Amino acid sequence: MRTVTFLPSYYKIDVPRGTTVLDATQRAGLSMNVVCGGQGKCGKCIVFIRSGRAEFDRQKYGRFFTEPELQKGGCLACETIVQGDLHVFVPESTLIQEQKILVEGLDHEIEFHPSVRKYYVELHPPSLADPSPDLSRFLWGIQKSGGPVAEKMYAPLAVLREMPSILRHSEWKVTATIGLVPGGYRVIDLQENDTSKRVYGAAVDLGSTTIVVYLWDLVTGKVVGVASNYNKQISCGEDILARVNFARKNGLTKLQALAAESINQAITSASNSAGIDREDIYDVVVAGNTVMTHMLLGIDPAYMIAEPYVPVVRRALSIAASRLGIACNPNGGVYAFPAVSDFIGGDIIADILACGMGEREEISLLVDIGTNFEVVLGNKEWMFSCAGAAGPALEGGEVLFGMRANPGAIEKITIDPVTLDPKYSTINGIKPRGICGSGLIDLLAELLLVCVIDRTGRINTGIEHPRIRKGTHFPEFVVAWAKETDTGKDIVITENDIKNLIMSKASVHAACVTLMKEAGVTHKDISTIYFAGAFGNYLDKKNATIIGLIPEIDLKDIKNIGNGAVTGANIALINRRARKTLDDIAYRIAYIELNAESSFMDEYTGSTFLPHTDFSLFPGVQELLDSCRIRKE
Amino acid sequence: MPFEMNFGWTTPIGEVVLGATKADGGTRRISYRIGGGTTLPFLESSPSSPAPLIAFEICDNPDFWSPIVKDYCGDVVNNANEWAKKADADYGADLVRLHLTSTKQRNFSDIASLGSVVEGVLSATSLPVIIEGSNEPKIDSEVYQKCGEAGQGERLLLGTAEAGKYRSIAAAALAYNHSIIAQSPIDINLAKQLNILLKEIGVQRDHIVIDPYTGALGYGFEYSYSAMERIRFSALKGDTDLAMPMICSSADTLTIKEVREAGDGLQDETAIQWELFTCLAAATAGAEILCVRHPGTIVPLRKALAGMKQPAQSAGVP
Repeated sequence: MRTVTFLPSYYKIDVPRGTTVLDATQRAGLSMNVVCGGQGKCGKCIVFIRSGRAEFDRQKYGRFFTEPELQKGGCLACETIVQGDLHVFVPESTLIQEQKILVEGLDHEIEFHPSVRKYYVELHPPSLADPSPDLSRFLWGIQKSGGPVAEKMYAPLAVLREMPSILRHSEWKVTATIGLVPGGYRVIDLQENDTSKRVYGAAVDLGSTTIVVYLWDLVTGKVVGVASNYNKQISCGEDILARVNFARKNGLTKLQALAAESINQAITSASNSAGIDREDIYDVVVAGNTVMTHMLLGIDPAYMIAEPYVPVVRRALSIAASRLGIACNPNGGVYAFPAVSDFIGGDIIADILACGMGEREEISLLVDIGTNFEVVLGNKEWMFSCAGAAGPALEGGEVLFGMRANPGAIEKITIDPVTLDPKYSTINGIKPRGICGSGLIDLLAELLLVCVIDRTGRINTGIEHPRIRKGTHFPEFVVAWAKETDTGKDIVITENDIKNLIMSKASVHAACVTLMKEAGVTHKDISTIYFAGAFGNYLDKKNATIIGLIPEIDLKDIKNIGNGAVTGANIALINRRARKTLDDIAYRIAYIELNAESSFMDEYTGSTFLPHTDFSLFPGVQELLDSCRIRKE
Repeated sequence: MPFEMNFGWTTPIGEVVLGATKADGGTRRISYRIGGGTTLPFLESSPSSPAPLIAFEICDNPDFWSPIVKDYCGDVVNNANEWAKKADADYGADLVRLHLTSTKQRNFSDIASLGSVVEGVLSATSLPVIIEGSNEPKIDSEVYQKCGEAGQGERLLLGTAEAGKYRSIAAAALAYNHSIIAQSPIDINLAKQLNILLKEIGVQRDHIVIDPYTGALGYGFEYSYSAMERIRFSALKGDTDLAMPMICSSADTLTIKEVREAGDGLQDETAIQWELFTCLAAATAGAEILCVRHPGTIVPLRKALAGMKQPAQSAGVP
């Protein structure tokens, strides 16, 4: 064996004497630009032998080099034979330049390096002089066209059975689909002639309410279609708990089928609008919470909803699409995101991937709010997570005029400090029907700023103003008069609504603080706060800080990542290295059970105040409120 | 040689003045300046700090009062003025705490009468007085207004503000320069929140006394103790929103099973002991005012507090 050391990385690899340098680079995992398939024709695989003994015909290939390049040991990797230990310098220009693309919801580019690729090869037919078997011939052909090393590829029986006829019928001109699987590469599909431009992938956010699919062209790196639809499992139960109970009563098969059907429906409508054949989709990446993932895989979720709350599996899984009933190429693969616990699922791992907090030195805080909330704190070395019930108030539930973010929902509000008249905008600009989460957060902050409510959220009924009323059950503030609304009724927020909102925000904030205490950091150590989840995109960062939903940090360091689950799935679909890190990320995250944290209740009570009982945590808000009080008096 | 203990305290407890003497424009024969502590109570290194004050609780309608106390005190319970006089002269209380239990009657509306009740008690005793107003949102505002007015110039302590009702009592206190009892349900955060709410509507720190709510010994007092201890620690460490004196009432002890079901002839003794030890525990946790309802509790309580003030050796503690 000879040791080849690649510069500048000093990556070492042992190869038998007589191997080409191109082989060695491929074994070392360096993707070289091999246009001619390694026949010494294109002159793209230029490397420099810095030391050691190698065989290279300078006369024959000298035309590809300038004199100074030859002086420095310039060679073509495909035509250089390793004789002794070598130091080989690989210039940047020789390596395949990663295509970088912008993924929706991200402010930086992602390297385009999907897990599935197609290779078109034209093979020499076998002869008496070259009687190697079909498979070897085929795999070598792929390797020579810049594909993975032949020994690392594996062809399943189904492909082998088709291989002889396809090779010969196509006159040895075939397209192979190669997918990266744990432990190597798999020949997913074999087709006659050149179909290498037709390979697609789907990134799926498998939510308990909604399913979102992004369809990608895996050759050009472009999104070709987007579709979403409701999760059909709703027919078996509105919330997750109900569905798990449905599964326990022999309903798992049905739930599995409904999950697959919901995904298929979205994939189909995205494919149709993009005008592509579903058979050309080879890679499907699914990010969903732990229960949803279990259900899609047909794994019993029953043991997750009762003590001691254990999932069956938390690692990432790759499954043949046909086994799950996913409507893509039957040999295509489905990749399911890993999870941390039953409460921190693949959707949160996708959030983490989307915001990139797991790659950075600085500490970030990720907050994903829905009916439940999940919080993750950490950096590239450590992460803590927890989950809890936020109550539906932040999504518009348990609030008299609360509603989801649908047309007619008031999503932004400001209140005039003198006249106390609100100015609001609704989704789609139609007459208001209710108030959604972002509007409720605005409202809470504004009512506090204009001193209509005190810091515990009680309405000061001492203020004489037509908008402030005693109400039927609770004091209330009129946001929109009946004549302005779509329903013909006054839209109000009651003291009880405000109480529910404060309880919701308090549990989120207390969870953040609990994790921060666990990690021994303060709000000053947090470089960025990421908001994920449905209303993440529309949330007013300043108002979220004023009410103390999240720790106070510089507003410019608060970022909305929107639907992080689908963004993370997109990244995992188009970047194989990112996908490989996911299990690592999941295992790095420690789960803190809030019920077992005695200090949580204390933190919670401290947070049931606007913004918080401990003002030192909110110096900026405190200053703002002090100035507003002066204005009032 | 007493231990020299350094806890790292930075901030003394704020002071609150109760009662106004002639010099201050009132008619009390004495006024108390409570609070001001710089460390925990009953430490040998600071024996000079004053012992907690003892307040005796009376009411203007004994229908809502413990039968044990009524039996013990006799007819005097039907006359708040006489009862207050007795609390001062016979029982030896430092303060009189008047509960306006008459407001608990259904559809009570005779607000005007409350003014004369308060005035009567103020003239019956020259001790500083604590007035407990109504617990009915509809009449709160008028009741506190009336009490505040009747006690104008006397620097009363008005009770009881809670997070859900603090505006009317604060208004009366601000208008007539009285102090306020701020009660929260055994929780340091809630105690602090209420103090902030009061501060935000203009009540000064030196007009607030914290009532952390006192559970009866054996019936949750340990929670009260823990909340009080944390309140005091935070205050001494610099949290000015908690740096106020504390008031504790052992009233709950009179309703517990052990006292109610104590055998004939044992009820008074059981009630006294239970009040005594609840109060002592509250004093240990840092209370500046201890409220009792059984007249028999005052003498042994004062004796016990004096004993606790002495260095361990001279008190005969091994």
